[in-house]
Amino acid sequence: MQKLLIAIDKLSTWVGQAFGWLIVALTLLISWEVFSRYALDRPHAWAFDAQIMLYGTLFMMAGAYTLAKNGHVRGDVLYGFFRPRTQASIDLVLYILFFIPGVVALAYAGYTFAAESWRINEHSSITADGPPIYPFKTVIPIAGTLLLLQGLVEIVRCVLCIKNGAWPRREQDVEEVDVEKLKEMVHATDTPAAPSSSVGR
Amino acid sequence: MTMRKELWFGFSIMGIIVLTTVIFTPWTQLSNGHLGLLMLSLVVVAIMLGFPTAFTLMGMGMIFTLFAYLSEQGATLERSVEKTLDLMVGSTYGKVMQSDVLISIPLFVFMGYLVERANLIEKLFRSLHLAMARLPGSLGVATLVTCAVFATATGIVGAVVTLMGLLAMPAMLRSGYSVQLSAGTITAGGCLGILIPPSVMLILYGATAGESVVKLYAGAFFPGLMLAGLYIAYVIILAKIKPGLAPPLSEADRRVPLPDVSQRIQGSGRSNALMGLLTATLGRIGGVSPVAALRQLSVAIVPALAVALMLGLVYRSVTTPQVEQSTAGLEQMGLGATGADSTASGGGLAEPPAAESVQEPPQEGELSEPPQEARATDQNGQAPALGETPRAAESPTGGAGVREPAAPTAESTASAARVPAPSWFWTTAGIAAGVLALFYAIFTLTRLEVFKLLLGSFFPLAMLILAVLGTIVFGLATPTEAAAVGSLGGFLLAIAYRWIDHRRRDRANAVRTTLREVGAITRESSFLTAKTSAMVCWLFVGSAIFSSAFALLGGQELIEKWVLSLGLSKLQFMLLSQFIIFVLGWPLEWTEIIVIFMPIFLPLLKVFDVDPLFFGLLVALNLQTAFLSPPVAMAAFYLKGVSPPHVSLNQIFAGMMPFMVIQVFAMFLLYVFPQIGLWLPGVLYGR
Repeated sequence: MQKLLIAIDKLSTWVGQAFGWLIVALTLLISWEVFSRYALDRPHAWAFDAQIMLYGTLFMMAGAYTLAKNGHVRGDVLYGFFRPRTQASIDLVLYILFFIPGVVALAYAGYTFAAESWRINEHSSITADGPPIYPFKTVIPIAGTLLLLQGLVEIVRCVLCIKNGAWPRREQDVEEVDVEKLKEMVHATDTPAAPSSSVGR
Repeated sequence: MTMRKELWFGFSIMGIIVLTTVIFTPWTQLSNGHLGLLMLSLVVVAIMLGFPTAFTLMGMGMIFTLFAYLSEQGATLERSVEKTLDLMVGSTYGKVMQSDVLISIPLFVFMGYLVERANLIEKLFRSLHLAMARLPGSLGVATLVTCAVFATATGIVGAVVTLMGLLAMPAMLRSGYSVQLSAGTITAGGCLGILIPPSVMLILYGATAGESVVKLYAGAFFPGLMLAGLYIAYVIILAKIKPGLAPPLSEADRRVPLPDVSQRIQGSGRSNALMGLLTATLGRIGGVSPVAALRQLSVAIVPALAVALMLGLVYRSVTTPQVEQSTAGLEQMGLGATGADSTASGGGLAEPPAAESVQEPPQEGELSEPPQEARATDQNGQAPALGETPRAAESPTGGAGVREPAAPTAESTASAARVPAPSWFWTTAGIAAGVLALFYAIFTLTRLEVFKLLLGSFFPLAMLILAVLGTIVFGLATPTEAAAVGSLGGFLLAIAYRWIDHRRRDRANAVRTTLREVGAITRESSFLTAKTSAMVCWLFVGSAIFSSAFALLGGQELIEKWVLSLGLSKLQFMLLSQFIIFVLGWPLEWTEIIVIFMPIFLPLLKVFDVDPLFFGLLVALNLQTAFLSPPVAMAAFYLKGVSPPHVSLNQIFAGMMPFMVIQVFAMFLLYVFPQIGLWLPGVLYGR
């Protein structure tokens, strides 16, 4: 079971990280466009559409990845103080009550939305002769499906946690506040080991 | 089983919300609007339970949207489901995926991660603390300034607080600072990045309120500086009144190691940097190599060159014949930079002050104030000038005219006859020369070392921030463009600093190691950016669906009707709204407050004739407190994580309290003197 969970985690992570590289592309694209427009006096009509598409795809496709790493923002007034079993029970109920219906609906709606766009061969109307927009709209159902898959994994995790009283292991990933790394950065050695570094964002 | 007091706190807030809802809902005659309010209170409860907010909003929004459509006359289930789905995908795609405001979030976040990983905070802190060694409470002030600069550039509260907890906390405790004061300066300083632009919070507010991010940035600049200034003033005054809380640095901590050249020059009895180095360059001091002295001298004249450059740019812009631009004078400053080299080399302005200072006897025994002042003015004067140059360098000749289509091209401007410079220009130039002369009179060899340290840490970061901010605020680039170029700048910064670091340690493999590391930095930063942007933007997806549902149910009208029935004055409304936001900041995070509650407040602003820009600035200041208010004060937990064991969480909270009071005071100041925030946007965009 744990193997399957980790495998799906890995899939979400791989997809999210692969699309994470789009930020580099986005940075370079806009920087080049700025240079091209201001210095070379040669703006590109498609640049704006391309920027929006890169940005939209980036965050949509990283949704499942973020969920796999428990990175979506949570209210932390109570949650952090609950025992794991209580945490898992609340999560389980709310996953079934809110997450599943919401994400299923989004993925399904996204599917019809994108299908319609493919059917009419839709192009962007922001500029004349805009680029095709249906691949971008297709991102919604794909991201939704991935998110749903990851959500199912999280539900299984909740069940396992309720059974065992402890959260199943997750794969390590880059952390925003990685105390060990930061310590290395400032060459701090005299401080004691940190009790916990995962305070959420 | 005994419950922990944190749980009590949370549950009692939740209980109050549920109770209020139950009591005030007219259960017998439930309208759709009431259903909307019910949904709002349910969502707050669900968020407090700790389920990922984005999906709480999404699911709840969907369910209630379905309710709303079903309750319409002649609605069928099938048709309602269809409409709900359309609304969901429509708001996801239209409001979030296509947003040209939110697009700058990943870019700014990316820039932040890159800058953080450039690894210059240690240098920054060290140089600032040496530069401020003579101020009372110098370590505290240095901590605040480091936090402000670093937090502004990165915007990552957790990382800044952790890093400063590792760097500044031990340093302050070692010098005998009280635990509370140390903790307070670090946590309060770390949160400044939320307010001082370019900050993600203002983008979020702009996207929610439909307010221009550019104006918000221009507006938040001075309030942000004011808040930082108030913090610093507080620390200085406290250190002056109660030196026991923040004792001055020991002689050993203040010592700046001098390089060999400077030591020898100092040994010959000359302490003024300019004079000593000039003499040494001419070979008049035995045992000092003129080449080494010349190298030092070239650094020493940087301030003079910077002032000359800036004056040259201003001169160029004021003497350029004005064809049609009147407000674009500042833009001209940047645009006219094509002639920068010629002005700099031909700028005779740099020489007179230098010559003056040579004639003046060096005054070493002066008070501590003048040097600080001189340096501060110099920094202010220099930073924009330097910030301008890279941008100008981007556009070779001819590019200048492109930015302002209506303006004449650079060539034609240059060829036209020059207008004589107005007298205020010469006055300014005179004052600048005087300040420069004073600066060089007290510019000792020790200060030269400190200046070199600042040059390597503070100025590049300040330049990056000012370049990004300047281009946005002066309308040269959109926030998106500035963020992208800023990311590129952060990338270059990371390369430069890693390379310098490696070259010092292992010269042979420096390039290879740097490249490998930069690869890892980019990789990590991209992944983190993906996660953070997904977090923020999915929250927006959720809130877009949620607020559509809320609007559909008519909860908004009900609130408006209720607020109007209270008959509040504008002042009362402002106080009430800010108080509610302040209280919400205890259990909730700022992202949640902005995306869920701002859409409720914003329509009310029109009713009470409140400027949404002004309101946004107040909210931004207000939400600073959310970071410092227990029990969800993340800053405190990050700091606790890296503090020595004897520092308790309660001590940290106690240390944050005075700074929270200062924040409230800053809000009061901003409310009484709105011009603090509205002046700059008013000047730039005429509102």
